[in-house]
Amino acid sequence: MSMQAALPVAMIPGNSIIHRINPIAKLVWVVGYVVLAFSTQNIVVLYSMALFALLLAPIAGITKPLLKGALILVPVGSSLLALQIIAPAVERPWTPVGEIGPLTLYGDGIYYGFVLLGRIVASLLLALVMVMTTHPSDLFTSLSKLKVPYTLNFMLAMTLQLIPVFQREVGIIMSAQKSRGMKGKGFSAVLPSFVPVFVGAIERVQQLSISLESRGFGSNGIKTSYRQVRGRPSDWVIGIVGALALGGLSAYSIWRGTWNISSDIVFSPLFVVVTFVISATLFFGVVLFAVFLSLKK
Amino acid sequence: MTDATPSALSPLAIDVRGARYVYPTGNVTALGGVDLQVKPGEIIGIIGQNGSGKTTLTKLLNGLLKPTAGTVIVDGVDTAKKSVQEMAPHVGYVFQNPNHQLFARTVQMELEFGPRNIGLSEEEIAVRVAEAVEFFGLQDYIEEHPYRVSFPIRKLVGIASIVAMRPPILILDEPSTGQDHNTTHVINGLMRRLRDQGTTVVCVSHDMPLLADVVERVIVMKSTEIIADASPREVFADKTLMARTNLQAPQVTEIALQTVVPLGGPVALTPAELAADIAMRTGRPAAARTDAVG
Repeated sequence: MSMQAALPVAMIPGNSIIHRINPIAKLVWVVGYVVLAFSTQNIVVLYSMALFALLLAPIAGITKPLLKGALILVPVGSSLLALQIIAPAVERPWTPVGEIGPLTLYGDGIYYGFVLLGRIVASLLLALVMVMTTHPSDLFTSLSKLKVPYTLNFMLAMTLQLIPVFQREVGIIMSAQKSRGMKGKGFSAVLPSFVPVFVGAIERVQQLSISLESRGFGSNGIKTSYRQVRGRPSDWVIGIVGALALGGLSAYSIWRGTWNISSDIVFSPLFVVVTFVISATLFFGVVLFAVFLSLKK
Repeated sequence: MTDATPSALSPLAIDVRGARYVYPTGNVTALGGVDLQVKPGEIIGIIGQNGSGKTTLTKLLNGLLKPTAGTVIVDGVDTAKKSVQEMAPHVGYVFQNPNHQLFARTVQMELEFGPRNIGLSEEEIAVRVAEAVEFFGLQDYIEEHPYRVSFPIRKLVGIASIVAMRPPILILDEPSTGQDHNTTHVINGLMRRLRDQGTTVVCVSHDMPLLADVVERVIVMKSTEIIADASPREVFADKTLMARTNLQAPQVTEIALQTVVPLGGPVALTPAELAADIAMRTGRPAAARTDAVG
């Protein structure tokens, strides 16, 4: 089909070392990453995690799609930083470091801003690496080996797999309505584009449930999978090392009371102002770009 | 009346020269240097296997895709310089699945959507919708919800919603998919009538009997190129061409090719044609068929 609205986070087929790691081992790492990211406030740890995830990308051959998927971080991250500088999420008193127009900039929130950003960046990058290198079926096959009920697996799998289907559907519907002269923006475009999508979705789910039941979905017995997933010794090593390292660091962080090193780092007023200007510019740049795109015919 | 105003760019309804299309993702060539000239009022069919470039070609015609090389001029307008919405008054595109475009609360409102989008006055919209309703025989359904009518009627509503915009060029993608014999027959007749009113009709289809029956010219596509452009009779009689493209001539044409053609008979495109020839040879009149196409 023409409107290949390729999902930015779809799996990128490949046979790299990362691709071949057992999905459970990867899942351990992702979960470990999230736990560690939210139990520490140490920016060195957080950005090392992000860097590590980033380094996996060239190994897996997914650098370009990963960076594309990570673009979502630009508006999120820049708004986060900018907000923390003008309205720190720490207790007053705040120390003003500069003024831009009506806005007073404070240095107190910037560390916390970087922590928040680091958590998101680290977790998202590793999660993207995992999603982009793991066939959904493999993940669910592995999960069912761990005795996760297959109906639950199926629901997860369907949710993931239907997204590209619907994206394609939306593409076709938008093409069809544009061919009828629909302007493709504003409120007038909502009904013509969404009614067919929803009706199509409901019909699809109905058909799916009928076809599933006709193939014995819900019957008892052990489910097997067409795709075989192996757990090699190396997978065990990766999984266990991940669990120990990330779990250990999390425990250490919690023991150190979030391991906050903000007192060791002094951000110069100039750095704060520059960071604010850059992040605010990026954020408004993204907003303006989105407005521009929506206004463009 | 149609809004056909062939301007200085080309007097042809469709003028495609050296058009190529390469999908931005993965450098897949979907169309490799295609030339196609169609005069106003022609009715043509495009055939070819899946992936041969049929849909890409038709999407170039209404600007959904822009050629990566070459030019596509439709109704005198260069599609590369216009948005799909701007092309809408010039070329109508009926998508294969009517469910992909129907959304309004009533068939009537569905038909009004296109004409309103291209900025017609309310009076003009009313006239065109009434005309489309009449043309497609939708009188009994105008107050119905488009999703509550049967699939064949939905298909007609889909086509009518495009025809109500009175595009001088109409593209139909697989009009007979999922339709019963009767509806296919109705769509056939409508295509002919539209042509008679001066509309240029482009029909993409795998339904060879439909094309044999209704089009005057068949474009055969294979591996992103046009490899034949001739009358249905010539195309369907060309066994090597059919074999090369993995296409199958209508059964009646196959039978004619194996029986009456070697005897000097016609390359029949319809059962009636073959029956007439056999009747002539045997001296026995063919039994009248009630559903004879015509």
